[in-house]
Amino acid sequence: MTWLAWRQFRMQTVVAAAALAAFAIAFAATGPHLASLYAASGLSGCHGGRCQHLANNFLGQLGGTYGVLWTLAVAIILLAPAVIGLFWGAPLIARERETGTAALAWNQSITRTRWLAVKLTVGGLGAMALTEALSVMQAWWAAPIGRALGYGGGAAGILSQGRFSALVFASHGITPLGYAAFAFTLGVTAGALIRRTLPAMAVTLAIFAALQIVVPLWGRPHFFPARQAVVSVASLQEISLTQGGLDGSSFTLHAMNIPGQPADWLLSSGSVNAAGELVSTTPAACTAPSTEDGPNFLPCLASHGIRETITYQPASRFWAFQWTETAIYLALALALAGSCFRQVSRRRS
Amino acid sequence: MTAVIASEGLGKRYRRLWALAECTLSIPAGRVVGLVGPNGAGKTTLLSLATGMLAPTTGTIEVLGGRPGAGPGQLARVGYLAQNAPVYAELSVSDHLKLGARLNPGWDAALAADRIKRLDLDPGRKAGTLSGGQRAQLALTLAVAKRPELLLLDEPVASLDPLARREFLQDLMEAVAEQQVSVVLSSHLISDLERVCDYLIVLVGSRVRVAGPVEELLASHHLLSGPRRDPATLPAGQQVISASHTDVQTTLLVRTSGPVLDPAWTVSGVTMEDLVLAYMSQAGLGRSRRHLEVQQ
Amino acid sequence: MIEFHLDGRSGVAPYLQLIHQVRQALRLGLLSEGDQLPKVKDVAAGLAINPNTVLKAYRELEYEGLAAARPGVGTFVTGTLAGASLAAHGPLRHDLQRWLAKARRAGLDDESIEALFVSTFRAAGEADIA
Repeated sequence: MTWLAWRQFRMQTVVAAAALAAFAIAFAATGPHLASLYAASGLSGCHGGRCQHLANNFLGQLGGTYGVLWTLAVAIILLAPAVIGLFWGAPLIARERETGTAALAWNQSITRTRWLAVKLTVGGLGAMALTEALSVMQAWWAAPIGRALGYGGGAAGILSQGRFSALVFASHGITPLGYAAFAFTLGVTAGALIRRTLPAMAVTLAIFAALQIVVPLWGRPHFFPARQAVVSVASLQEISLTQGGLDGSSFTLHAMNIPGQPADWLLSSGSVNAAGELVSTTPAACTAPSTEDGPNFLPCLASHGIRETITYQPASRFWAFQWTETAIYLALALALAGSCFRQVSRRRS
Repeated sequence: MTAVIASEGLGKRYRRLWALAECTLSIPAGRVVGLVGPNGAGKTTLLSLATGMLAPTTGTIEVLGGRPGAGPGQLARVGYLAQNAPVYAELSVSDHLKLGARLNPGWDAALAADRIKRLDLDPGRKAGTLSGGQRAQLALTLAVAKRPELLLLDEPVASLDPLARREFLQDLMEAVAEQQVSVVLSSHLISDLERVCDYLIVLVGSRVRVAGPVEELLASHHLLSGPRRDPATLPAGQQVISASHTDVQTTLLVRTSGPVLDPAWTVSGVTMEDLVLAYMSQAGLGRSRRHLEVQQ
Repeated sequence: MIEFHLDGRSGVAPYLQLIHQVRQALRLGLLSEGDQLPKVKDVAAGLAINPNTVLKAYRELEYEGLAAARPGVGTFVTGTLAGASLAAHGPLRHDLQRWLAKARRAGLDDESIEALFVSTFRAAGEADIA
């Protein structure tokens, strides 16, 4: 049965292996140069304030090629589970039902349970291995960039995405494993219930995409209780500031990163007064045009006791988050697999 | 002798429709059984119940003394050929043989290879490029080479041209002679089955109308023709299966165990086709035809 | 080895047709004692008929003493129908050919010849019984 499962997955495996090989070549071609640039930047073992400056120098050196390759790899890693769910998972049972080959397979001398178990294992393990392999390759290649970001480097376009950013979190670490397993079993289940390949593919895509939007937005931030920090408004480096109302009487200030903690995951921020209440009214003294539009606006707010409160998840929890999200998706995958077995054994029609 | 298929009150319902109802059979071993009936009569349902692809709604069914589809042992004893001989289009002929070898402990590789050679099938050819007749032959090879005790074939020759049909049946008969395997094959055409079957089951409107050895059935059914008469006037032992009347003449197909002594009747034998058609009309099909005959 | 054929429209049961053909072959000397009858498997496959039908015919021939089955080998002819009369076949065939030639010269077509023969044959048969 293992032979048959592999034989039926042959084409899909070849395509996936080819894609993997293509990326391997691209990474091998550009990786060493990237590493040598990093070595020359003097960032290894750097301590102190000038590290951020060095990091920015290093990141600024990277030409467009690196950005393109990085983006392409991340995109493929993010898409891979969906593609697997559609082309490996959905047809697994549905196609056999549609073409009638299920009658051929299920009347040999093995039970349906064994048939499905082998196919799920071969397909599931293959899916996880391929997706994770691509993720690991990309992580190895992009390691220097990650380290530079850790030193507070930024302003390098797409390469500045932190570990907790939506794109990076979903394509690095072990989450690709969970997504691949889930999308695959989702496809198989959809095929088992719907019994026709194309509708099963559509449903798989819809559900997987929905989850990939819902979980990062409303699930992931709440895996662990967030921490709060109150920082001086003047120490903020990257901000989003809007001023409005008559005579600039109101303002909205959001911090885009946490001073001194570049790798932490910033969830939300808001301005509070000395009593800790949220404020959006500009103090009268700071509404003068010269102050409002200049670099003194933030110090002016600070002098009136306005500070920024930031809700965040510390960088040290990165792996806790990874494990939690992967565990959730793997649990879903197992539940779906279980329902597949029930579906296949039920001999209603 | 244990029956190859024994069912008691077997029924299968889909939502509100009974695809098969009150099916009680005891099919003896060592026969080639013809399962005849119009499309939609329940033939595929009965065969699917026998392979374990479907579970009954009511009643019981036992195949070779075991529950259909229950475990690898039971599955190995029954070979199945589904309608239109499904095969894996992307797999080659030899891939299919490998499939059979890997998935069946009782696989006879020499038999399979010999059959493929005799059938002139190119082992490297993808199964999707084979003709209908070749696909049927490949599927039969898969079913036969696992050395089952019972072969179930669902309309194996329905979509084949006459030559392919003949070759398939020749091949099947050779397998039966060599392996002593019992066969149940279904068809909606009686002509396919006449030469090969020695046991007949007529399935019309989801019910078994008659079942028994062909010899017995042909010997116990007679065509009676004579002056116009009410079928109800016949003696008790003579069961009228179908009747047709003109204004002066009556033709009846009756089932009886004893001789027909009434001199008013001209008695003649029936063919399998006459028999099946009679049971089909008894079930309410062909009503319009009978209506036309009366109006002559 | 003889080859069987079936007439699907004759209304005669297949096994009877097989028996008839064996007897015919014996009468005509195409089969003699010790000859092997075609294997059940080959007949069933050649004609696409149930092997049991062939077995039934062979068993009937055994019962009539014309054949015997040797397990694992096949079925062999043990009896004969032609007997001494086989020797007379030659001259009789020659006489028939001459009679046929005469009938044709008299202007009879195939159907008339057949009708003449059959009616004479039947009349002679009834006279024998009487």
